[in-house]
Amino acid sequence: MSNGITEFFGDIYGGLQQIGSAVSPALPAVVGGLLTNEAYDRLSDIGEQSILGTTVGGVRVPGAMELAERGQAESQFKPFTVTTPTGAMFTARMGGQPMQTMPAPSSGGFAPSPTAPPSMALPPGMGGLNREMEDLQRQLMSIPRSIRGGTNEFGQEPMLGMGEMDLNNLPPMARISEQQREDIRRYQNIKSRMDEVAAERRSLSPPQGGLLEGPLTNFTEVPVGQLAQQQPTTGGLEVGMTLSPQEQAMQQQLFGGAGGFFGQAVQPTQAREQAIFERMRAAQRPEEERQRLALEERLAAQGRLGVSSAAYGGATPEQLAMATAQEEARNRAMLGAMQQAQAEQAQQAGLGQQFLGASYLPQTQLLAAAQPAQRMAELQQQAQLYGTGLFGETAMSGLESRLLAEQARANLLGGIGSNVLAGLFTPQVTKSGTVIDPGGFGDIGSIIEGIGGGSGGLFDFLGITDQNNDGTWLSRLFGG
Amino acid sequence: MAQELKSINLVAPAFKGVNTEDSPLAQDPSFAEIADNAVIDKRGRIAARKGHTVVTTNKTVLGTDSLYSIKEYRDDAGNTKVFSVGNNKIISGTTTLADETPGSYTISANDWKIVNFNDHLFFFQRGYEPLIYSNHVGSVEALSSHPHATGVASTMYGHEVLAAYGRLWTADFSTNKSTIYWSDLLDGASWSGGSSGNIDVSKVWPDGYDEIVALAAHNGLLIIFGKHSIIVYDGATSPASMTLSDTVAGIGCVNRDTVQYTGTDVLFLSHTGLKSFGRTIQEKSMPISSLSGNITKDIIAALQNETQFFRSVYSPEEGFYLLTFTGQDVTYCFDVRGTLENGSYRVTRWPSTKFTSYTRLEDGTLHIGTSSGISTYTGYSDNGSGYRFKYYSPSLTFGDSARIKILKKLKPTLVGANNSVVFMKWAYDFDTTYATTEFTVGTQITGFYGESEYTTVEFTGGQLTNQRSLNTTGYGTSVQVGLESEIDGSPLSLQEINVMALIGKLL
Repeated sequence: MSNGITEFFGDIYGGLQQIGSAVSPALPAVVGGLLTNEAYDRLSDIGEQSILGTTVGGVRVPGAMELAERGQAESQFKPFTVTTPTGAMFTARMGGQPMQTMPAPSSGGFAPSPTAPPSMALPPGMGGLNREMEDLQRQLMSIPRSIRGGTNEFGQEPMLGMGEMDLNNLPPMARISEQQREDIRRYQNIKSRMDEVAAERRSLSPPQGGLLEGPLTNFTEVPVGQLAQQQPTTGGLEVGMTLSPQEQAMQQQLFGGAGGFFGQAVQPTQAREQAIFERMRAAQRPEEERQRLALEERLAAQGRLGVSSAAYGGATPEQLAMATAQEEARNRAMLGAMQQAQAEQAQQAGLGQQFLGASYLPQTQLLAAAQPAQRMAELQQQAQLYGTGLFGETAMSGLESRLLAEQARANLLGGIGSNVLAGLFTPQVTKSGTVIDPGGFGDIGSIIEGIGGGSGGLFDFLGITDQNNDGTWLSRLFGG
Repeated sequence: MAQELKSINLVAPAFKGVNTEDSPLAQDPSFAEIADNAVIDKRGRIAARKGHTVVTTNKTVLGTDSLYSIKEYRDDAGNTKVFSVGNNKIISGTTTLADETPGSYTISANDWKIVNFNDHLFFFQRGYEPLIYSNHVGSVEALSSHPHATGVASTMYGHEVLAAYGRLWTADFSTNKSTIYWSDLLDGASWSGGSSGNIDVSKVWPDGYDEIVALAAHNGLLIIFGKHSIIVYDGATSPASMTLSDTVAGIGCVNRDTVQYTGTDVLFLSHTGLKSFGRTIQEKSMPISSLSGNITKDIIAALQNETQFFRSVYSPEEGFYLLTFTGQDVTYCFDVRGTLENGSYRVTRWPSTKFTSYTRLEDGTLHIGTSSGISTYTGYSDNGSGYRFKYYSPSLTFGDSARIKILKKLKPTLVGANNSVVFMKWAYDFDTTYATTEFTVGTQITGFYGESEYTTVEFTGGQLTNQRSLNTTGYGTSVQVGLESEIDGSPLSLQEINVMALIGKLL
């Protein structure tokens, strides 16, 4: 390491001596200008690389936009599914995310139900297409925004990407790097595949109607058991709840029972009142008949069977009393029948309500079971967001470090250039006190030599080398 | 040696009334074989009945018909009016009879029963709408026309009516013989609503079936007379709650107009004679005594032969119960002051009186209805005409029916009979041909100082007694003695008859 540093500074001073002795007085001015220009360009490149990313040491370093897009992609809602021990399933996902299939009932579960279970299973091949589509989207997001276009991470500043350009028919003045060409090709391939996958998915998806034909909202709550029949096409949050076949059967049975009870509850009560009244009267009649016969015998013994008094409704006081008592009993029976019928009606309504409530119990329990999972999903989302943020911050700190380093290097190079230019026009005093006039441009050949030697030259000192042997150093130095 | 005369003294002869039921030979001499136009006077003697004096002076509306019912209307204000029926009319008045028949009300029968009730007078006859008279209306009218009448219907056009326990009770309808209707309380014109009602006793008759003939109220009981049974209800003050108290089978009432109240008894004529309810305190049974036990056969024959009306009256002042068979023109007079050993009343007979109706006024006056109009039971002539008083003893054997009796003398002791011709009669061995001797009673008018002093009258005080000794003839084992006198203005009582006879040999 120390050898390297010593060699480095030897190269610099050797070059300067050569500049001072061999270069013509005009050469320093040229070199200074070039260095300043190089510093400027580097700073520009660093800014661009901080946004678009670069490759350092063969490792791809993402830019800010790429980080943002990646962060956005990684902070996407993660679909999750909660499956209860009874086989019910709670599913939350964003539109376009793959669906979850219905888990098989446990071996100790309910007996197979004749009711056709609502299926969460996707059409054959749909799952693979979905996964492929996700991969394609992920790949697409890895392409620089300058290529794929779109908005920034805040959804703003929409711009057209170069991905739609035809590489075989570029305009003459187009200056596209090879990397950009490669990105454009990748972008076009991905888009092409995505179109194919989308076409295949559409071909596999059943015809949609009703709810899905209308404009979709960002959040769609799908009724229980209907998720499998719906293929949302939006990016909104989709929540689905599916009960197990056994629960479905029970739910339908409870629903049917509730309907039956409610149906009975809304029926007119007259017929039931009459039926209850008849039953009550049937229970009362034998005793009434016994009482009537006893009274008849008493009246007969008293010789009063034929008594009819207007004051007692055309009968005897005892007969009137009995008739009154019987009528009161009849009235009580009637009122009792009415109350009983109404009570039964209320009971039917209550049972209907109970059945209705019980029919929602699987769903309620499913929601209750989903709550801890939702918490877990939140934790996972938090961890995901935290990781994404940490990744972004770390990556951005690397970029910032690189930016600072490159900035420092550019400043250094710019300072050297400035000094060279300043020395070109500044008189030099030798040890003997002789004032030497500025020579202007010196021997540029030594500089070139130095450069041609490939070792110890100023260019090497400035990092303007052609170590990659791409023959472009000159063009990079002077542009073009 | 001359035989001694045997004397048989008939003291107060016939004071037990007529007895046609027992064997004449075994009879007590206190009975009579015949006692016509006689009563038992206050001293227990047989005497001539009173006559009647017609008070009616104008009986145009009656025509030749007789009065078959008489009733005095009285209200709380003291208004009175005598009503009678006859000649198919409702008649009012006593001296001048006035037709009170409502307009357009046709009557073809005179068997009305008239009762006073709560300031109203009600007329009931089977098949006719009841009539009503009240002082506030002032005329007789059909019941349905009365201001406060309700529920008047043909079903309650009864033949019997009774005013008792604050209501009118009616029964004996044309087609319903077992139902009794009662009116609202204190309103005889209201037969619906209120506490009115009815009772069907068809299931109560003790022998299965009967027909209501008469009603009576006595001692808190409602007595329902059938033709041959009687049922008694207790608690009739509340008819809806009254209960059967007693039933009597085999004895009924012949006619509603034979029922009379004597204060302690209810008299009525049954098919077997005059009956009464004896009042008991401790026993709740209904003892029935026969009051006509001495003339049972005669009564039965009379009621069986009767084709018109039965009329009766009870007069506490006279102490008798009169029972008249108008079709046969015979009246039986029952002395209600006491009963004989067999429980019968002493009874006499009043034949050919032409009495067709009676009523007793509040002052005790006994009104008699005849074809002459309204009479009062007073005096000793039938509206100026005499009537024959008859007494015939049962056959007398003088204690030995095997020996011949030779009647020597008859010594009757008479009370009254002023200037009357008295016929003494006798016959032997049940012969109906009587030997007769007569005498004329002298003037029996009492004289008083200052009025007929020292003139024509003798110095007598009170009613005069006349005793004669009459020679008789003939002989036989049994002797029947009789006395007849025409009663025309003076009373006559038979105090005793002393029979003098010789007892002959055995036959």
